[in-house]
Amino acid sequence: MLGQEVDLRAVVDPQIDIKFPGGSELLAFSDAVLGSNLDELDRARTALENSLGPAAVSSASIIAATFTKNDRVANGTGIPAEPRMMEGAENIRELLGLKNFRSAVNTYRHL
Amino acid sequence: MSLYADSIYPVREDVAAIHALQFEKLGLPGTWGTAAQRVAIVNEAREAGYQAGVMEKPSDPGAAPDVKLSEVAHRVVHRLAVSPKDMDQAFYDKAIEDGLSDVEYVEIVGLIARFTCFDVLARGIGVPLRPLPQPQGGSPSRERPSTAVVEKAWVPTIPNVPDGGEIAKELFGPWKPYIMRGISLVPDEFRAHNELEEVQYMPSAHFMEFDYQYHDGLTRPQVEIVASRVSAINECFY
Repeated sequence: MLGQEVDLRAVVDPQIDIKFPGGSELLAFSDAVLGSNLDELDRARTALENSLGPAAVSSASIIAATFTKNDRVANGTGIPAEPRMMEGAENIRELLGLKNFRSAVNTYRHL
Repeated sequence: MSLYADSIYPVREDVAAIHALQFEKLGLPGTWGTAAQRVAIVNEAREAGYQAGVMEKPSDPGAAPDVKLSEVAHRVVHRLAVSPKDMDQAFYDKAIEDGLSDVEYVEIVGLIARFTCFDVLARGIGVPLRPLPQPQGGSPSRERPSTAVVEKAWVPTIPNVPDGGEIAKELFGPWKPYIMRGISLVPDEFRAHNELEEVQYMPSAHFMEFDYQYHDGLTRPQVEIVASRVSAINECFY
């Protein structure tokens, strides 16, 4: 997207460098805001603010919140992925091990 | 005054406004739950979060109605609140077998999804969870959309037009994906979910414009980094 190389594996493995501006801070913040360590959340929030600014903290929180919502709607109702979402992305699904998610069956049972 | 006036981080006015409205509406009767039941459900979800260590109880949690949820409702609320990656069809089928109706289940999903969302935002910007409203009297509307059927989800959904009929046209326009239609069995939950999506993620008209700048401080790719990581943690294949 937009000509920048990224290592998508970082989305499922926090040990990997995503190689994108602000990416490591965003990933750490995402983990911390859903996690159980408040000190870690405070550190991640500060690191994100120092990297991308205070507006980024608010925006990242809104996005984490949005997908907190959407993931519960999807996983809670058993909806399948739309056919167009499945086209041409098999290599990414393999790379990230998405088929191992319990929710994957909600899509694959219809294929 | 903004719902998030106590935050040192700027929260967009439209986000604060829609959240304030949805908190207020939680205190009203829903489609299948009374206001007291709905507030009790969200309270129970928060309790699950406190027990799991992923939410912190505020000094002012707001209303805590004296409503005892059924065992099956309690079970659904807890799993959805703190372990959405462990939801599966067997869990849903058992909930229905144990006496929860499909419409009650969907209303619970809608409520937990939205209020967990609000609580994660609060946590992210470092403010206490917002207090829950006092429940008002009145009866649920009990309106079940006549065109809802089991399509490819576990729960019945309103199909897109033409099969979904007039209500599909009203709610979805020409088309909506499953991520929106998943809770359409309770149209008011669909409406609330859709309103949040348009404001919090981005207006759907711009979804495929990958250089569309909507979020202060984050580019679209940076937005998707957060979205992807959260969904990976929740093991959401969709």
